[in-house]
Parts: sequence; C-alpha cells; structure tokens
Amino acid sequence: MKISFVLNSQNMSIEIEPNIRLLDLLRDKFNLTGTKEGCSIGECGACTVIMNGKAVNSCLVLAGQCYGAEIITIEGIEKDGKLHPLQENFLKSGAVQCGFCSPGMIMSAYALLLKNPNPTEEEIKDAIAGNLCRCTGYKQIIDAVEKTAKEI
Amino acid sequence: MIPVKEILLPETVDEVCRLLQDTNGLSKIIAGGTDIIPGFHIESPRFVNIERLIDINNIDELKSVSVTEDYISIGSAISFSEIISNPVINEKLPLLVKASRTIGSTQIRNRATLGGNFINNAPCADSVAPLLVYDAEIKIKSIAAEKIMKLQDFLVKPYRTRLMSDEIVTQIIVPNPPAKLIGDFYKLGRRRAVSISRISLAILLDVNNGFINEMRIASGAVTPIGTRFYDVEEFFKGRILDDELIKDIAIKLGERIMEVSGVRWSSEYKIPVVQQVCYQLIKGIERRSL
Repeated sequence: MKISFVLNSQNMSIEIEPNIRLLDLLRDKFNLTGTKEGCSIGECGACTVIMNGKAVNSCLVLAGQCYGAEIITIEGIEKDGKLHPLQENFLKSGAVQCGFCSPGMIMSAYALLLKNPNPTEEEIKDAIAGNLCRCTGYKQIIDAVEKTAKEI
Repeated sequence: MIPVKEILLPETVDEVCRLLQDTNGLSKIIAGGTDIIPGFHIESPRFVNIERLIDINNIDELKSVSVTEDYISIGSAISFSEIISNPVINEKLPLLVKASRTIGSTQIRNRATLGGNFINNAPCADSVAPLLVYDAEIKIKSIAAEKIMKLQDFLVKPYRTRLMSDEIVTQIIVPNPPAKLIGDFYKLGRRRAVSISRISLAILLDVNNGFINEMRIASGAVTPIGTRFYDVEEFFKGRILDDELIKDIAIKLGERIMEVSGVRWSSEYKIPVVQQVCYQLIKGIERRSL
C-alpha cells in the first residue's frame, strides 16, 4: 500500500507492506535509527515519537495507519544543526547514561512541553511514566525537563 | 510476525459495515491497536488469522461526544486522552475519567480507545467497572440492523463478547446519572503507571438522611470480567449507612467476589484487600455526602 505523511516537516510518499509498524518504517525505510525498539509491546517507551502532536509508542502503530499523519522523531527536533534545548539539558543534567531511553524520553517531554510549557514536577512525572530508564534514574531527567521549561 | 495483508481506511460507519460483510472472518476492526498489535507480537492465538484490518480512526462520528437531557453518547473510538480532557465527561462521568487516568501511560492513552477496552474484554479493562455502575449501554451496527444492548449483557467471559464478525460498536450510551449519586473508583496494580489492574472497584452511592437510597457496585480484574453486584446493592438498600454497615457491605462483597471468581492462589490476599478497598471507598463517599 502507498502512504503519504509528513515526517519531520517533510512530505513523504512511500510504498509499504501493510504488516510493518511505524517503528519499522522509521528505522528500516528512512534510516531514522534514533527511535529505539525496546520491549515491542508498549511498556518501555523507547520507541516514542510524536504523531499529530501527541506522544505515541511507534511499536503500537502500524505504518498503514499513518496516512496523512504528522510524525516527529528525535531527528526532527534539532534546528540548523543545533540540538534542541531538551537535548542540551539532558546532556548538561547528566540525564543520559547508556542513552537507549533518551530519544523516547525526550520525545515524551517534547510532547508535554508542546501543550504545557510550564509543567509541574507531577505533570513531568506523569508525562514520562511510560518511559523506562535503567541507568540514571529519573531525577536528572526530571531536572532536565524542568530546566528546559524555564528556558523556552 | 504481523499477519496483516491489507489495511483499509473507511470514512463512514456504513462503509465499515460493508467491509465487514464480504469476508470470512479474516477482517478485524482496529482503532488504537494497543491490544491488537502487541497481540501480533506475542503471536496470541486470538490474532493469528487476521488478514485485513479496518482502521476506524478517520470516522468523526466514532470520536464525537454528545449530550441530551437523558443521556451522554460517546463515540466508541474516543481515546482515553480525549476522555480525560472532555469537559462534559468530566462533569457527568467522573469515575470514568478517574479510571481513564490510571490506564497505561500517556502514549497508551493517546491511542487506546474506550470501545476497544471492553471489546477486547480483558479482565483488567479499567474502564469497564465505571461504565457498569453508570448503567452504560452500547449501540451496535451491521448492514442488516442496529441494536442497543446493556454493556453487562454484551460481556460474556474474558476476551469474549456478543459482537458478531459483521458488527461494529459505534456508541457508548450512558443515562445521565442523577446528581445525588456520588461515587469513587480505585485501581490497585503492582506499580503506579503502565500497570495491569489486580483489583478495581467502582461505587456510586446516594445517601439520603443517612439512609442508602441507592447503591451501585462493580468490580474489575478481581472477577473474571467486569461485574455488577445487583444482589449486594439490593440487600443494603434502605439501611442506615454507619460504620458497622459499611463493614458489612465490604464483607458481603468479598464473599460474593469469592463465589464469582472461585478460590485461587491469590484469594487469601485479594479478598481482604478488596474488602478494605470497598470500605475505604464508601467511607470516602460518606464523608463527601455529609
């Protein structure tokens, strides 16, 4: 089947197999390997991307369901070769260790800041409750999001 | 391995009904996909033979919420995030909103739908107990007919409903709850987020001058499917709501749940906990009724 959608602000049209997930589309067809595959059943959040302004697990969306959608991945949030403030603050706050959860974590935080530029700590915790981190713990990650909210 | 060979994107309910008509049970409706897609991944026998998916996310009618004097009608493909942010549902069906907040994670709530929750009919479906105490009915359509059924009657056993292969659930219809009914919902899982319910209870209560005028109780997860306890409700109707009575209600509910679910390895833990949850919920409602 053929789908057309917007990927990181670019119009895309591509022929796909109906049995692939959005995650496979991003990683295998577009080489956007920033989006990670963790649990594959919607529990770890490593594959989180933005679909029509909302955070979703790309392992739980079929590519064929993305017709006309606007998708943003971790690769789409930097501007003119400069990291997004969330990415900067994750680095500065020590919120990245092995880095596997970071793209998903950052996309969940990005979706939160889209609709709520001044989140409370509870709101940040709620927004990243579907993202598992097994290295740094969550304190540094929450700090990084709080810091970003103050800056932008 | 995902067995799907075709994904269809109809724009009207009639089109869905037509698509459901001309197949041999190899088609399935998909909305949020948060049960179906992991089901493919773990090669669940429930999903191995699906060749055609009919995606209903582009049908506005299935996402809309409308209110009349008598009832609230909610499109079956509304997501839990949309439920949480909908002012009408917040005002009229607060227990449904509270349960919706406990489901999965933000990512899951952005996709998972109200209809999908009870059509999949997992024992742990968190929105079912609230819908049952609100006496929810559902509208089902096929090419041939349109019918309305009580949600309680629609649910047969875990992962089984009365939905036929040529039918779609289009609406959840909830009679406007009387303002005097106030209630609460509690979910117990093993952690705070992305958690499978072990026990959930929804209770609505109308206390008039200290007497129970009306009580509605439904369980989730701790019974094989979401279950209303009409006999317990009836038994305590008209009684004076005091601490002793609340204990009696909790004890009776625990006994009935044990009868429905049978003795399991976890009963020794679950029954006292469900009784405590029941007691605390009614205590909280009693305080708010004063």
